[in-house]
Amino acid sequence: MLRLGSDQSRVLGALLVAVLLHLAGTALIEGYSSAFSMRAMLVLASLLAIASIGQTLVVIIGGIDLSIPFVIGFANVVTAQLYGGGMDFWLVCGIVLALAAAIGGLNGLISSGLGLHPLIVTLGIGTIVQGSVLLWTGGFPSGSAPASVTEFVSIGGSVGPVPVPWLVPCFVALAAIVTVALARTPYGRRLFALGSNPRAAPLALINPVAMWTATFAISAVFAAVTGILLLGFTGSAYGEVGQPYLFQTIAAVVIGGTALVGGRGSYLGTVAGALVLTEINTLLIGLGLQPSLVQAVLGIVIVVLVSFYGRDAHVRTTI
Amino acid sequence: MADVAAVLSVSGLSLKPGATPFDLSIRRGEIVGLAGLDGHGQDAFIETLAGLRAPVTGEVRAPLSGHAITSFRRAVASGIAYLPRDRRATGIFPSMSILDNFAIATVGRDRRLGLISRAERRKRYDYYRERLAIVAPDPSHPITTLSGGNQQKVLLARALAHKPDVLLLNDPTRGVDIATRRVLYAVFRELAQEGMALVVLSTEIEEALVLCDRILVFREQELAAPLEGDARSSERIIATMFGRAA
Amino acid sequence: MTAAVTTSRAEGGRLPALKALWRQTGFAPLLFVILLVINIAINPARFAPGAWGTLIGLAAPLIGAAIASAPAILGGRGGIDISVGPIMGFVNAIVVLVLVQKLGLTSPFVVVGSAILIGAAVGALNGFLATILRIQPIVATLGTYLLLVGTTLTILPAPTGTVPVWLKALGGPLSILPLGAVFLAWFLIRRLPYYDHLMAVGSDDRAAYTAGIPVTLVRFLSYVITGVFAGVAGLMMTALIGSADPAIGPTYTLIAISAVALGGVSLAGGRGGLVGAAIGAIDIFLLQSALTFFNFSTFVLQIAYGAILVIAIVLTALQDRWLGRAREGR
Repeated sequence: MLRLGSDQSRVLGALLVAVLLHLAGTALIEGYSSAFSMRAMLVLASLLAIASIGQTLVVIIGGIDLSIPFVIGFANVVTAQLYGGGMDFWLVCGIVLALAAAIGGLNGLISSGLGLHPLIVTLGIGTIVQGSVLLWTGGFPSGSAPASVTEFVSIGGSVGPVPVPWLVPCFVALAAIVTVALARTPYGRRLFALGSNPRAAPLALINPVAMWTATFAISAVFAAVTGILLLGFTGSAYGEVGQPYLFQTIAAVVIGGTALVGGRGSYLGTVAGALVLTEINTLLIGLGLQPSLVQAVLGIVIVVLVSFYGRDAHVRTTI
Repeated sequence: MADVAAVLSVSGLSLKPGATPFDLSIRRGEIVGLAGLDGHGQDAFIETLAGLRAPVTGEVRAPLSGHAITSFRRAVASGIAYLPRDRRATGIFPSMSILDNFAIATVGRDRRLGLISRAERRKRYDYYRERLAIVAPDPSHPITTLSGGNQQKVLLARALAHKPDVLLLNDPTRGVDIATRRVLYAVFRELAQEGMALVVLSTEIEEALVLCDRILVFREQELAAPLEGDARSSERIIATMFGRAA
Repeated sequence: MTAAVTTSRAEGGRLPALKALWRQTGFAPLLFVILLVINIAINPARFAPGAWGTLIGLAAPLIGAAIASAPAILGGRGGIDISVGPIMGFVNAIVVLVLVQKLGLTSPFVVVGSAILIGAAVGALNGFLATILRIQPIVATLGTYLLLVGTTLTILPAPTGTVPVWLKALGGPLSILPLGAVFLAWFLIRRLPYYDHLMAVGSDDRAAYTAGIPVTLVRFLSYVITGVFAGVAGLMMTALIGSADPAIGPTYTLIAISAVALGGVSLAGGRGGLVGAAIGAIDIFLLQSALTFFNFSTFVLQIAYGAILVIAIVLTALQDRWLGRAREGR
């Protein structure tokens, strides 16, 4: 690969892997590149990439967010319940996203304000959120999404003559916005600075607690968006719908070259990582592997990919 | 001490409980040196001036804005800039570019229509690159590609970008080569001539003698003696540091 | 060892050892005493001495998982092993399905030996990935996590099988044995210079490296120890459930890490110990036990568990702050 180590080459590397996987799939499996299969992969990758926006930001700042699957489930179930109860859909979205922002903000506030490891804080808060939702619905959520949301994410949908649902172009626009926000806004630059050297940040007028609170709130909001979109995708509410996203968002982020130690990374890399994960899944299932074996192979693939470009420095080089 | 030219005034300040409090005022255009044996209070003093440490008694005030300095943010808002001592631990952002490292503390100033204008940022950087003679072929490279002296210049540029009235320098020539030191000394004098007040904590007596109009020697968390004019000799400074009457 | 903690607590708070424990483990012992009293009050039969074997057997897998999670975390610089739960599940599947059912090997030596060997091998793999290849530990062990869960589900798609009588006893009347063995092993490790090296590496790896400590080797071994303990925890789990079940093992990972944090082990490394981790795990077990007795739904249990976790670590952080301030003020 080109210049190993630079951010761009990591993104290109991940994209290259996705393309190679796709070529392998096309060669090995009939119909792998058919319109339907391509559309399905684009939709799945978009959903994963949206859920991973927050994980990318949180990892750049030097944290990790394990509450994403719980917030996805929360948004999924609460949206269905409220909309099913006759509330206006946009009002429902407003309430759900505001609550998600509050949950995420609390994650960030506790973690940075008290210097606690975000892994354990987000896990604890996530557990409370999930328990509360289960308690509210008695474990059996009801309701569904409006037809417009289902249409928005439907694999069979189309944008005018283009045979992809509106989700895909909207996601591309969203990805562009996130990328520009990271590169060209004070928030984005401060995010990288804080992740790069937390001790130097306050002297550069960066408020760590405010940054962590805002970033975890953003993470939860995008998790909630994913939850609402998944409601449209699957048709009915399910509290555990976010569970696969716990490790997949982390995997997408690290395959995309964002370092878990903070200060480095890009959202385009995460998008490439989401594509890689979707391709691997589709390829292995297409080859007739059991889901359990797919999982095992996925574990190996993550380790192999990350060992190419995601390695830490030896302690001797940090002295 | 009603000093019209004062840009920073200290009243009744003590750095540890029971220490004799002292008053002080720092004027436009002067360079004040801080000296003392390691850990004898000069460090605590410069951090107190920067709002990074709360005084035990007394207060620090910026007469121009009329505010008491109670936090670092307040200090910067009152026209005080601070260059930290440990470049690696509390100065640079190692994974970021030279430009980013320069602009980060004043990042809001480059904003045009909500986005950072690259041209604006580059223009600001180029001004300080010339002024401080920063040797960096490509400012979009990581800061870690620069020598220690040039990293220090970038950090100085970051502090100067606040356009401060008072510049606090915590051991600014630590780990910096001779050539760069000369450049820095010249820049410091120039800044003072333009009316900026500089407070320099120095671990080398020679440096303080060459650079400063006034040298404050600290001993056991107290201001032992302010040495001015002809009183500034290395013998006097050393004697005061060790607590011998000279 | 649970008894030792309660009695020394009752003797008053002036003992230096107790102070050290308080500083090291935070609120976990306090929570332990409160929860134990509540549990004994509401359900004396379950906590009567005659039932201790069953009781400890019930709590053992969680305690074992928490203890297993600690060494890798103590090594610092993001050290963590999220594959502890899957190791337990994998050991469970191999022991019941392969050793007992397929090969008919029921000898304790073979079974215990295999569990330890499997744990050590997976631990060595994790150690290799995290310290020699230097993949960030959470990613490296995520890889192992997926690999083990996938493999376990492939060879064992559904619950099945039985366990030998002696193993069943280790989940009941003799449940103290495996737990005691793990504590004895850790007690011996604490006597070795290795333990000091681990704590030094965990609190400041650069300083440790400059002082000539083989940082990579020390961290590598911490993953092997974690793996071995996880293997034993897998046996405890097998003894408890008495069969092979692919779904149970992985659920222990996150709850074990919670227990470790609750027990005052810093996730940044270099602070805390296995006793703290064990107390954290017992706290969670007692909490579950009390809430189940009141017939609260699992939903309430989940909320309470999350809330207690967050409140306890917040209080521990605040307590650290106050202690730090008091020390500065002096």
